[in-house]
Amino acid sequence: MPRTPSGHTGWFSFLPWILPGALILSWFAASHSGLVPPYLLPSPATIVKTGYTYIFSTPGEAPYAGRFLSDAAASTARVFTGFLAAVVWGIPLGILSGRLQVVNRLMSGPINALRAVPGISWLPLAMVWFGIGLKTTVFLVALAAFFPIYLNAAAGARQVNPLLLQAGAMMGVNRLRGTFAILLPCAMPHMITGLRLGLGISWAYLVLGELTGVPNGLGAVIMDARMLGRIDIIVVGIILIAIIGRLSDTLLNHALRFCFKSARRMA
Amino acid sequence: MKPRLRLLSGKPKPKSDEPLLKVCGVRKLFPSGGDYRRVLEDMEFSARSGELICILGRSGCGKTTLLKILAGFTPPSAGSVSVNGRPVTTPGPDRGVVFQEDALFPWLTVRENIAFGLRHKMPRGKVKTEVDRFLDLVGLSEFGDYLPKEISGGMKQRVALARVLILKPQVLLMDEPFAALDAQSREEMQNLLLSLWKTLSHTILFVTHDVSEAVTLADRILLMEKAPGRIREDIRVDLPRPRKTDTDRFLFFCRQLYEGLKD
Repeated sequence: MPRTPSGHTGWFSFLPWILPGALILSWFAASHSGLVPPYLLPSPATIVKTGYTYIFSTPGEAPYAGRFLSDAAASTARVFTGFLAAVVWGIPLGILSGRLQVVNRLMSGPINALRAVPGISWLPLAMVWFGIGLKTTVFLVALAAFFPIYLNAAAGARQVNPLLLQAGAMMGVNRLRGTFAILLPCAMPHMITGLRLGLGISWAYLVLGELTGVPNGLGAVIMDARMLGRIDIIVVGIILIAIIGRLSDTLLNHALRFCFKSARRMA
Repeated sequence: MKPRLRLLSGKPKPKSDEPLLKVCGVRKLFPSGGDYRRVLEDMEFSARSGELICILGRSGCGKTTLLKILAGFTPPSAGSVSVNGRPVTTPGPDRGVVFQEDALFPWLTVRENIAFGLRHKMPRGKVKTEVDRFLDLVGLSEFGDYLPKEISGGMKQRVALARVLILKPQVLLMDEPFAALDAQSREEMQNLLLSLWKTLSHTILFVTHDVSEAVTLADRILLMEKAPGRIREDIRVDLPRPRKTDTDRFLFFCRQLYEGLKD
């Protein structure tokens, strides 16, 4: 039998498909036997049809027809902006608090307190502050993604092997270059973990941010469809968010590997 | 005989009778439970340019601490260290350090690790020729594109040696660099170090707890005693090179040092 590099036989590569396959099969069975009524869970065939209409049909042909591109674009822009804000604040502050006791003492109290607050409780406040729309969503996404990014960057910076910093100093590397050429690459594996967690959470909070009556976006479509009783659209929206979330994770991973030696060679 | 390459060219060369490295009354205290532990006391010695000195002592006698002070990683509690007349306060490329553990950058290839200290200091083409030369000197020409995790412990220490030698240090500080290697690799590395020393004629301070390693390598051996660490004896090893480890004279030195380490 052919063996994969990890030493497992061919069936091993089918392993990831078994659970999703079983899930879809039981879904088929449940809706065909009439065990679950369509108003609770439409059949997979309906979902595929709705999905097709939502993605490919001309806008205006039917409700929700062809809205996918603009919704996905709007949502992606919100996630991207919020995530970027979280990175811009989270990485430098995290690195600083991982290396400097002063910053750590200053920040860890408030940050751990804020971290304990569920994101949803910020929603009403965010609506008062920023109104409905882009700003509220971006705020929630940035807030939620900040914590894992900050905490992992701090952990990464704290765990840098001091020997490597000494080696750099011995070779005449100044503090600035030491930070970029030694500290950041050393902390890279942790930072990658933080960024991936942060991006995942960004998609979760996107839906929360879009609950509030923005006209477009994947989260908005889901909430809108609930009002109209279009369960099929809700399911389509969930599946699409899952797919886009997974894709963006892969994309982030590849982008980091493309840009940084340390991401390529230490993972 | 091969012509000696002068690494110190361009820099003011000290007169041969004037010491390159001077350690004056160095003392180091570590706080321990409200009191102080004396780790080093009255360290006093000097090294002339081109000398290979082994600092021999049992573990815990403060020899690593001494090396850290010489490297500029920790300040002494009292006393002073100077290289070429300039006091040592911070780490710098004039004092290359080879650590006991693996201290290569894991995200850089062998070639990039060796070039690390040279980057932004000379044009790229020149860096490349220098790196090629030092890869060749440590016998790693074919391993330039490997990552540290892909090569053996002995090879890693060759890279560690090359990346500091390329910076043309005045003094090479080595902290039990071969202690973690197997017997064969250790012997190989000792021979490599000696041949590099012959070619490049730099000054070396080599910390070790291994008596026969010290006798194999050193011009001079500083025997350290424990608690507080201080130099007990300053022994000149006048065996001809290359040294054979099975001669009576060699064994005599070893026995003498071994006795010296005991109490």
